[in-house]
Amino acid sequence: MENEILTPEIEQTNAGVLPLVEVKDVSMRFRLPTEKIDNVKEFFIKLVQRKLKYEDFWVLKNISFEIHRGESVGILGRNGAGKSTLLKLISGIVEPTNGSIRVRGNIVPLLKLGAGFDMNATGKENVFLNGAMLGFSKKEMQARYDSIVEFAELGRFMNVPLKNYSSGMLTRLGFAIAVDVKPDLLIIDEILAVGDAPFQKKCAAKIEELQKGGTTFLLVSHNAAQVKKLCKSALWIKNGEIVMYDDAEKVSDAYAADCNKQ
Amino acid sequence: MQKKYVEVVDNKKKFQRSWNTLLSMVNRNVRNQYRNSVLGILWTVLNPLLNMIVISCVFSLILGRNELEGIYFPVYVLSGNIVFGLLRNSTVNSLPCIVNNYDLLSKTRIVHEIFPLSNVFSATVNFFFSMIALCLVMVIFIAKPGVGFHYSMLMTFVPFLPAFILFCLGVSFVLSTIYIRFRDIKHIYDIVLTLWMYLTPIFYSLELVEGHKTATAILKLNPMFHYVTYFRTLLTGSVPSLFAHGMIFAWGFGMFAVGFLIFHFSKKKFLLYI
Repeated sequence: MENEILTPEIEQTNAGVLPLVEVKDVSMRFRLPTEKIDNVKEFFIKLVQRKLKYEDFWVLKNISFEIHRGESVGILGRNGAGKSTLLKLISGIVEPTNGSIRVRGNIVPLLKLGAGFDMNATGKENVFLNGAMLGFSKKEMQARYDSIVEFAELGRFMNVPLKNYSSGMLTRLGFAIAVDVKPDLLIIDEILAVGDAPFQKKCAAKIEELQKGGTTFLLVSHNAAQVKKLCKSALWIKNGEIVMYDDAEKVSDAYAADCNKQ
Repeated sequence: MQKKYVEVVDNKKKFQRSWNTLLSMVNRNVRNQYRNSVLGILWTVLNPLLNMIVISCVFSLILGRNELEGIYFPVYVLSGNIVFGLLRNSTVNSLPCIVNNYDLLSKTRIVHEIFPLSNVFSATVNFFFSMIALCLVMVIFIAKPGVGFHYSMLMTFVPFLPAFILFCLGVSFVLSTIYIRFRDIKHIYDIVLTLWMYLTPIFYSLELVEGHKTATAILKLNPMFHYVTYFRTLLTGSVPSLFAHGMIFAWGFGMFAVGFLIFHFSKKKFLLYI
């Protein structure tokens, strides 16, 4: 890459001395207003009546862990356990209420189907828009364009507006761009489940290839088998707290057992 | 008190990432506005041109005048209209921009300021297209009084636009922040904008209220009055006074500072309120 600056800190991370992701005592609180207020009239009525009440809700409580380079991690947990919030925190989208997070390297978050895309623009324009958000200039994306289209298998549809894409096609395009820029940390939130079987197979192969190239994956899944296959270790979160952070096999089995119990 | 921060030590410069995104978004905005229309990008020139024809026909009939402040009426109207158009364009699009881009804000790492910025810059690009329309009109009416090309027009690019863009940005920051909490602002701003347009000498001049002290004072309190007058001074071939420069920069920097601070201190809570 043309504009890569390797600071000593990043060199040490690459050598495995420093962790790639360092999460220290992170807590996250959401203030849920008991009612949603979005106009002036209601705001003042409630203000006068002193009814602006909030309900505190701790999504994450004192989470600490480290991820080293090349050590892909799967995050397991039931709905509402705080998995997605954790990923958002690591991606730097939201700030924790308490604690600190340090990431040493390039992150590409794939948190939602079609996020970072403009539905009215064509596939081709979106490749450049998405690339720009990841820090790549038009020229750099031009060089990557062909391999992205080839991986996504969307050659015929690149001049079609994205709103006409199926969800599978969106996933393909998003994933193709993300893997082509070869980030240090790729964060995936359950979106791979949309692709068809051959594409899922292709993704798994690509993930393995990238892992060999030094990319670390952080993926959220309900599917314990997928985590076992793709990750080295796994993190199990329950009600905002870490239950287990260990070898992927062990954690997946324990999680599966826990799910069966209920 | 515990330390709290998220730090990403990245090997890509943050500024460069944002700049590329901004360029990409401006490009998209400008292209998208006339997507699926037969004439496409040509509309950016045609639109102000047709508007000018309507306004100047109507108002030269009503006012019965051929020129105002020494400038031929259609050129007078068009020049006022494109300056106001830049403000209208950038603020109306910026108003809902944070709310509309909730997906991007909540799922990707993106600097919040990019959204108002991209709208203001797209409006600036449109302003350049409108300038082409203005030049076309000036070529057609070159023989009329007060119409001609002067070197002073080049000052549109340097002192005028930066000061005016800062002003538009300031207004956009404020509006997009308020809109997150109070959706009412959209309807209020619609009315404010209409009032604002009529309080700006676009198709009349200060002569209209001559001798009326309060009315003149009110008109001069309007920042848009200073921007429009400044731009027209350039068209007539003279350099605006020091006072005129002071006014456009004072309003520009002042509005920008207010807007930026409001935006900056509320942006952490954006995601919670949308």
